[in-house]
Amino acid sequence: MLDPLQAVKMAFGSIGSAKLRSSLTTLGIIIGVAAVIANVSLGASFNQFFNDEIGAVGSNFIVIYSQNTNVFFDNELELIGNTPGVVGVSPINQQMAQVTYLSTSRQIDIQGVNEDYSEVANFEMKEGTFLTDKDQFVAVLGEEVALDKFDKKISSKNPIEITFRREDGGVVTQKFIVKGIVKDPETTFAQTGVEPEIRIFIPIDVMNGILGVDYYGGFFVKAESLETVRSTGDEIDKRLARNLGVSGRDLDDDDTKPYTIFDQVEILEDTNQLSSALTTLLTSVALISLIVGSIGIMNIMLVTVTERTREIGLMKSLGFSKKDILTLFMIESVVVGLIGGVIGTALGLGAAVLVNNFLELPNIFPVSQIGIGFVVSILVGLIAGVYPANKAANMDPVDALRKE
Amino acid sequence: MMVIRLYEGNSQLNDDTVMDVVIDIQNIRKSYLLGDMEVPILHGINLLVKKGEFVAIMGPSGSGKSTLMNMIGCLDRPTDGNVMLMGKDTRSISDNDLAELRGFEIGFVFQNFNLIPRLSAYENVLLPTYSNSKVNLDNEERARDLLETVGLGDRLDHKPTELSGGQRQRVAIARSLINDPSLILADEPTGNLDTKTSTEVMDIFSSLHKGGCTIVMITHDPEMEKYADRVVHIRDGYIENN
Ligand SMILES: Nc1ncnc2c1ncn2[C@@H]1O[C@H](COP(=O)(O)OP(=O)(O)OP(=O)(O)O)[C@@H](O)[C@H]1O
Ligand SMILES: [Mg+2]
Repeated sequence: MLDPLQAVKMAFGSIGSAKLRSSLTTLGIIIGVAAVIANVSLGASFNQFFNDEIGAVGSNFIVIYSQNTNVFFDNELELIGNTPGVVGVSPINQQMAQVTYLSTSRQIDIQGVNEDYSEVANFEMKEGTFLTDKDQFVAVLGEEVALDKFDKKISSKNPIEITFRREDGGVVTQKFIVKGIVKDPETTFAQTGVEPEIRIFIPIDVMNGILGVDYYGGFFVKAESLETVRSTGDEIDKRLARNLGVSGRDLDDDDTKPYTIFDQVEILEDTNQLSSALTTLLTSVALISLIVGSIGIMNIMLVTVTERTREIGLMKSLGFSKKDILTLFMIESVVVGLIGGVIGTALGLGAAVLVNNFLELPNIFPVSQIGIGFVVSILVGLIAGVYPANKAANMDPVDALRKE
Repeated sequence: MMVIRLYEGNSQLNDDTVMDVVIDIQNIRKSYLLGDMEVPILHGINLLVKKGEFVAIMGPSGSGKSTLMNMIGCLDRPTDGNVMLMGKDTRSISDNDLAELRGFEIGFVFQNFNLIPRLSAYENVLLPTYSNSKVNLDNEERARDLLETVGLGDRLDHKPTELSGGQRQRVAIARSLINDPSLILADEPTGNLDTKTSTEVMDIFSSLHKGGCTIVMITHDPEMEKYADRVVHIRDGYIENN
């Protein structure tokens, strides 16, 4: 039986005696491990990033809208508000209108909403407060509207003028006092049509009064939790359909319904698809680099073993069994693998942090996946090293000794 | 675990001598393939070495002495025929048993030394004990003593490249003795040594022989014959007298 202490000593001796060869082998492992770790943690960071984006858009929301006018009224608002699982609902109307501040005028998307809207859409206020249902001629501005759209910056208490087009063709200009400014959620991928930064919010009752209408374009609903969004949405869908006289048969046919309904889960699924495609891509890149790395290791180990065939033959003739020789080479591979693995992990994490900072992604390190990547890389190194050693250990000593 | 097979028998022997036979070479042939041509080197060799015997093998260069020695030490396989070592059929012995046999019972001195270049003289001598270590021996002390005995007490830390040919040969001899083997297979152990050192090495072998060790030694030097109980002459792959 091989003396373990001596075996480890011999492994270190042999690694140290061939510095160039050992560094090349280690480099192969470093590159493989670093690529795997960097890609795995990048994938996790992207995932987290996408989830954050969705969260920024709203929490547990359901969106209902209609292309037609005169579909949704207070009746439907009440119906949705009474649906179990709904914790908040805001009706919405929307119109592109001319907005004037001091001497500049711009076309801006005006949204009539109620006080629940802020909570459903997860708004954070940059200054001031959001609308309440008692408010009259006040407006809340998106950050971009307040800071960039007009020649001068708009802040709370400034007056703005909004010119609406009524359905009967008339034009009404009304003065509003700015009540607050909504912070830009800075999402880049997730799109739900909320995009508060480019909009102006006013009380929906005021808006409908000015426009002379009593219908709503749609609703923005908050469900109790992410788990119940789906079922709450389905329940609302069913109730609305029945209320609007859509037959049960057509419930699943979106074309025959006069409205569209979708929820956060659907967007999450879309985004998850994107993010898992990205993860797949990153993982394949990692796998390819691992394969390339291990071919490198295998190549160098083959050279090593060929170089040391004489030594293996000698050790066999001195009484080392096949198992002893394999153990020796395995210890050597593990030592090289561990050194390469540790350095590679450090480099991979470092690279991930750099890329994360550059792309402004959150720093996420999935410990278990990094661990698996680390172990797999060392195993690959081990297998790559053991195959040639096994080849040599199976030779007759005299054939091995004859090799120059 | 050693599988000890009953001695299958050489007709010349009666049962009393069975356990005394260390090496029993049975009609060994060896040929090498050179391209498509089969070149025979050994033509049916029979050789019996008993426990405690000192056998010298002599013969011209290229006659097949090293080839035969490799067969005895199971470093090479015969093309035909069988080698029985210490009562065991080497054709069916397991890798582990063969490794233990080589490590504990056989001391091999190669014609070309075969030292590991990156290890010091001392480490080279110690190498066999990394795998097979006899519990009753203090390996490190023994390695130093053996190097002292072959006159290299002041060269423990020298690498083989820092030693002369004769010094390397003496390291190889010290290494073959580290596990106190019962059989020594030495391929021209004094080939690179001057008369004085040769005599010293042969004195070591003689005293081992007196202690009951079986020795098979290849030599070119007729001077060495006097140490041997028996001389076997090989010419062109045949044994001339036995
Ligand atoms: N691997 C091989 N392939 C082909 N021929 C070989 C091989 N090894 C040895 N031979 C041949 O076998 C013959 C015997 O070689 P061997 O080494 O046994 O000679 P030897 O008696 O030990 O000679 P020396 O006294 O010079 O050491 C030689 O003619 C050699 O050319
Ligand atoms: Mg020879």
